Amino acid sequence: MSGSRRHDPALVFIIGWLAMLLLTGLSIGSAFLGLGLCAPVIQFGIAATQAAILFVLFMRLKGPPSLKWVFAGSGFFWLLFLFGLSMTDYATRRGWPAAG
Amino acid sequence: MSSDVLRPEIQYATLAQQGDTAQLGMWVFLATETLFFGALLFAYFIYRMSYPHEFAEAAKDAVLWCGSVNIGLLITSSLTMVLAINAAADGRRRALVFWLCATAFLGICFLGVKVWEYRLDYVDHVVPAVNFIVKPGAGSAGELFWVFYFVATGLHAVHLTIGIGLVLYMLLWRVRRGEITPLYYAPLEVVGLYWSFVDTVWLFLFPAIYLAGRS
Amino acid sequence: MSSIAVDPPRNYASEENTIASWLLTRDHKRIALMFFASITAFFFIGGAAATLIRLHLATPAGLLQPSVYNRVFTMHGVVMVWFFLIPSIPATLGNFFVPMMIGAHDLAFPRINLASWYVFNLSGLVLLYALVMGGVDTGWTFYTPLSTIYANGYVFAAAMAVFINGFSTIMTALNFVVTIHRLRAPGMLWTRLPLFVWGIYSVSVVMLLATPVLAMDTLLLAVEQFLQVGLFDPSHGGDPLLWQHMFWFYSHPAVYIMILPAMGVVSELIACYARRPIFGYSGMTIAMMAIAVISFFVWAHHMFVAGISIYAAVVFSLMTFFVAVPSAIKVFNWTASLHKGSISFDAPMIYALGFVLLFTIGGLTGLMLATLAVDVDVHDTYFVIAHFHYIMVGGTVSAFFGGLHYWWPKMTGRLYPEMLARFAAFLTFVGFNLTFFPQFILGYLGMPRRYYTYPPEWQVWNVLSSAGASILAVGYLLPLFYLGWSLIWGRHASPNPWRATGLEWLTSSPPPTHNFERTPVVAIGPYSYDPEDGSYTTQDGVRHV
Repeated sequence: MSGSRRHDPALVFIIGWLAMLLLTGLSIGSAFLGLGLCAPVIQFGIAATQAAILFVLFMRLKGPPSLKWVFAGSGFFWLLFLFGLSMTDYATRRGWPAAG
Repeated sequence: MSSDVLRPEIQYATLAQQGDTAQLGMWVFLATETLFFGALLFAYFIYRMSYPHEFAEAAKDAVLWCGSVNIGLLITSSLTMVLAINAAADGRRRALVFWLCATAFLGICFLGVKVWEYRLDYVDHVVPAVNFIVKPGAGSAGELFWVFYFVATGLHAVHLTIGIGLVLYMLLWRVRRGEITPLYYAPLEVVGLYWSFVDTVWLFLFPAIYLAGRS
Repeated sequence: MSSIAVDPPRNYASEENTIASWLLTRDHKRIALMFFASITAFFFIGGAAATLIRLHLATPAGLLQPSVYNRVFTMHGVVMVWFFLIPSIPATLGNFFVPMMIGAHDLAFPRINLASWYVFNLSGLVLLYALVMGGVDTGWTFYTPLSTIYANGYVFAAAMAVFINGFSTIMTALNFVVTIHRLRAPGMLWTRLPLFVWGIYSVSVVMLLATPVLAMDTLLLAVEQFLQVGLFDPSHGGDPLLWQHMFWFYSHPAVYIMILPAMGVVSELIACYARRPIFGYSGMTIAMMAIAVISFFVWAHHMFVAGISIYAAVVFSLMTFFVAVPSAIKVFNWTASLHKGSISFDAPMIYALGFVLLFTIGGLTGLMLATLAVDVDVHDTYFVIAHFHYIMVGGTVSAFFGGLHYWWPKMTGRLYPEMLARFAAFLTFVGFNLTFFPQFILGYLGMPRRYYTYPPEWQVWNVLSSAGASILAVGYLLPLFYLGWSLIWGRHASPNPWRATGLEWLTSSPPPTHNFERTPVVAIGPYSYDPEDGSYTTQDGVRHV
């Protein structure tokens, strides 16, 4: 990289780090609250938020070139097709998902 | 490449183009890794939705403190990696070396905890095909949870080990020969991207493995 | 067409000729030739298996033991899919010409390119190990729980070979995507890219998004096969269909991986030999990207009778109808490109025209298979086999041979014997149709695939098919001889013997190591052929009469 690229000061990353640790704590806590099916939704949502902090901030997605966003997002986006279209089979089977 | 005359390879017009392209290449690779681990999580998702009780029962034996310590170690290691890259951009060589050592150290600690945890798993008889004993309520599908556990954490550990190797390569080879300078530190950024991605994988494996069936 | 010329004194092939200079090369052109060698070897292995199959099926009694027959057709499929068809055009013609066609000096990551070749050969060695030790009898689709629990043979080794092969695919695809994004010469806009480059770009996107899922699927297969842990075993709660979903999520896009580069080649050939621009350039590029994307939405049409829910079958059937549309658009546009053209029937053009017809037949029969009611009858019969061979052999292999002949003068600096080449092309067309058209009939009559025998009343069709195969084999072997002959005794080629418009034709034949002395500046789009006065304008803007 040429030296003219500026980077965020360390403090920004330390705040991001603390935020991720805090979110981890919330995630662990949510597991013990008896939330049933909501629990994994919350927990994976927290994981996705932490991943977003990592990607956008730590892995500098917000910097140039903006083409990175397409590559970074395409993997996750494509998984939607794997999950979603498979659901046309699984979700229409009788007795699926099994009673939680 | 000596540090006095750092030229881009023949197919690049400038070093900046070379560095940017290297980063893009790593992002493309990370997209494939997303699909690789995503496919594993897909299989996990299908089986967990098919056998929610059995998975919850089986997951109770996952060692939560190991998983939690490990996620803390990895999140911190992403911070130290970014601080190393910042140091490279600023030309602060001693800070660069320090933060890279810290990153590798945190990764090695992760592996240490993982080995300890595998030992605990062995004692608990949850290793499929080796000494697996079906726990009451877990049913035969409970073993599927543990197959997923070992495949997922094993693959992750392999990726982490490669990451530690890359960090050490940076330290002992590129940094030592003065090839990481404020003028061109793209190789370090590329390693950093890979490292943070391995961290991301763990962020998703953690709730899948350690937070099921806790209540 | 060509003037007497001599090989440039220093070109990419002659520059340095030690073994190390080839095995450690970073030159995309040398790596392309090395890939040529590898895939040709595998083409022979897969072809030998095909020969055994057709010899065996010429009579109901057959030649081989049933268990051996199973291993032969499995090996034919595995070798041809992963070790020939998928790498064929991208790793050879793509590697050689993508950098040249965009005006670059090399790919973005030359060392990764070389590594891809080594990984490919490593995966080939693992497969050969499985083959030599006795092979696999599950069919190339490795369905569980047959492959994991009940199969005899070296499933683990074969699965590992496919797993490792995937890394080679991903490395090559990654290189192409990044190169096409970042290393285009000044003036080489996306809308000026030759359609071959668009074909390689779209195929690379598919490779990158599909292959990792196969990697995970084969890994889980290997885990279950090795440890017998019951991941896909119903008696342990496993779902065999889950394995198939993940397998076909890759393997359906894989068939588009096999056809997209071929489509790119055909566009180059038709434009050049009809002396006309391709009709509907943007339609062609959008169609290729649409094929790439929609190909991911159709996978369960391979599972219509496997036990998926009927609602899923309806959704996937509908999606499969959609994916045919962009392919049809391309066929219309190729045909329209011929209109009022000045057509010459050089060997590459014969292959290209053959492609258009055979791909169309294959594609139309695909629509028949997409229709649920029809598929219930012809699934797992020779109808399916004929369908995909029309596309992969009639389509992809024809395009591969067409592109090989078209670019042969550029790669080697030699001209091949034209009359012999036209004869070989014609022979493959006749042999191909005689081999595979009877198989449509056999499938319709009900002959199942992967069966080592059949009722005697179907023998006539099988004999016709085997006879055709022998003709096809001659047609494919002839180029080996005359192309090899041309390397030593062929006439020297000028830089642009076909009077084509791409940037690759601006260089000498063979090209220098770094392709261009100075990075070219692109002025216009591809295919500036004028059929009226026979002039053409290369992409640097220079008009030639």
